[in-house]
Amino acid sequence: MRRVRNGVYILLGLLVAAVWLFPVYWMATTAIKPGRDMYSAQPQLIPLHPTMQHINRVLDDPAFWQALRNSATVTAITVVFAMVVAFLSAVAVARFDFRGRKAFLASVLVVQLVPHVALIIPLFLALSGLGFADTLTGLVIAYLAFAMPFAVWTMRGFVAGVPRELEEAAMIDGCTPLQAFRRVTLPLVLPGLIATSIFTMILSWNEYLVAYFLTSSPDRYTLPLWLTHFITSEGAEFGPLMAGSTLIALPVAICFALAQRNLAHGLTAGAVKG
Amino acid sequence: MRRARIVRARRITVRKEAVAVTVATHAAAGPAPAPRRPRRPRLPFLLIAPAAVILLLVQAYPLARVAALSFQSWGLAQIFSDEAAPFVGLENFQRILSDPLFWAALRRTLVLTAAMVSLTMLFGVGIALLMERLPAWLRRVVMSVLVMAWAVPTFVSTQVFAWMTQQNFGVLNHLLGLGQHNWYVNPVEGLSVATAVVVWGAVPFIAVTTYAGLTQVPGELVESARMDGASGLQVLRRVTLPLLKPVLGIQIVLSVIWDFQVFNQIWLLRNASPEPEYQTIGIYAYMQAYQGHDYGYAGAVALVNVLLLAVVLVVYVRQLIRMGDLA
Repeated sequence: MRRVRNGVYILLGLLVAAVWLFPVYWMATTAIKPGRDMYSAQPQLIPLHPTMQHINRVLDDPAFWQALRNSATVTAITVVFAMVVAFLSAVAVARFDFRGRKAFLASVLVVQLVPHVALIIPLFLALSGLGFADTLTGLVIAYLAFAMPFAVWTMRGFVAGVPRELEEAAMIDGCTPLQAFRRVTLPLVLPGLIATSIFTMILSWNEYLVAYFLTSSPDRYTLPLWLTHFITSEGAEFGPLMAGSTLIALPVAICFALAQRNLAHGLTAGAVKG
Repeated sequence: MRRARIVRARRITVRKEAVAVTVATHAAAGPAPAPRRPRRPRLPFLLIAPAAVILLLVQAYPLARVAALSFQSWGLAQIFSDEAAPFVGLENFQRILSDPLFWAALRRTLVLTAAMVSLTMLFGVGIALLMERLPAWLRRVVMSVLVMAWAVPTFVSTQVFAWMTQQNFGVLNHLLGLGQHNWYVNPVEGLSVATAVVVWGAVPFIAVTTYAGLTQVPGELVESARMDGASGLQVLRRVTLPLLKPVLGIQIVLSVIWDFQVFNQIWLLRNASPEPEYQTIGIYAYMQAYQGHDYGYAGAVALVNVLLLAVVLVVYVRQLIRMGDLA
């Protein structure tokens, strides 16, 4: 009876893995299938004639490299700024009591819930007023704000999780406060920094909606916008589309998989309570 | 005992110096009933200033602007000339009340949200419970697959689902033996595909966080319930789920908020021009603004959207307060 039940669990587990794996598998295999295999009456579950034609078409496209540069720039700057800004706020709310602390925390939570779609029109008007419409700077500012609530919330849990006594002990042993911070606090909040920077990275690397509205010049396209090139009113060119998708999603998926442990920890610390 | 006192004394002097020099951050632990968080009037404000500025600029200001916009008639005249937008009072909101397209979009959004959230929670929590019962190797496999699926951007997963449901060469029609079925003629079917994309993308988050919560349920509790003769199902209903309630509550609220705003998936599945039968309230607001150039009316629709979510928000904040998270 027990063995039967365990067998059922294993079958279900395999089924779950298959359902969540299949779209990714189908994307990656379509990317290396020649056109006649992609568009055959009988879809081929295994790519029998792998080809680089779609991938080469992407790699030979200068617009792809431009978009890659734009995405990488926006993402890197957003992550660095978000970490610094969120960390400072996290220290403020975790270590200090000040007037408006609760109000700050509550508003951080509330803004997380405001639909981006509703903000887009005025955001566009506001950024144009500052001369940031259709610039990468404008995107960085927007993504910073979108990433901020989650980052502050998660970091707060980690900072609060480092006992003050540890820092004090380090200072008793002769560390300056800055040294105590660098040698004691920083290593302890590092998993939190990694988790939040990965979330921020994914947010800005994957963001489509705001980029779509704020960007009009093709040389400022980020990867998601570049990808939509392959969709025309006559339909989509699924070969290069899947090749491009694979190239865009791959680095992120690898980062995610590598940081799997930190992620789960970061989430529990932030979401469940630090 | 004496040593302890000496250490304490040292600590106090060190503390005084440190406070004089520094940024920092410590208190408590001393013998005097020190306040848990030292009050230092300016520093915390400096620390939160950058975050506050960004949030004000990108979240608060636009939100206030939407609210203002919704009482104005703001259209092409304001884009091409600097003509001031006339205030029209509640006119935009009156228009909403008598706009059948708005009500249809609202109903569609509510039904879709209900379907997406309940399916996401069902699969997410189910998979988390299943993972607990799997052998370690398979649990790692499932976890990695879920985490990988999580990292796939929505615009990519949407394109993949669009390709899988393609009429002539889609693998789904082949696997289901449907011939050349067009999934997008009937909006119910088309929106089901959109629901599948959303659920596929949202389940990993729910499953991983629920699983993390499950590992924190004390084993002794489950064991003692078992010893008292509870069946597996009873343990789940009486012990595990009640303990997970706070986590589940937040997950549901977050899912409602995310799914209420679903945009990308429907937008991209319909090639950036969704038919009226595919429009959710967010898409409808956008179409009014960018295609109808009726920014005032779009602002009013967006504001109604925010207000509806505010109801959910109240539940969310209350839940957080109950969990002591705002303390």
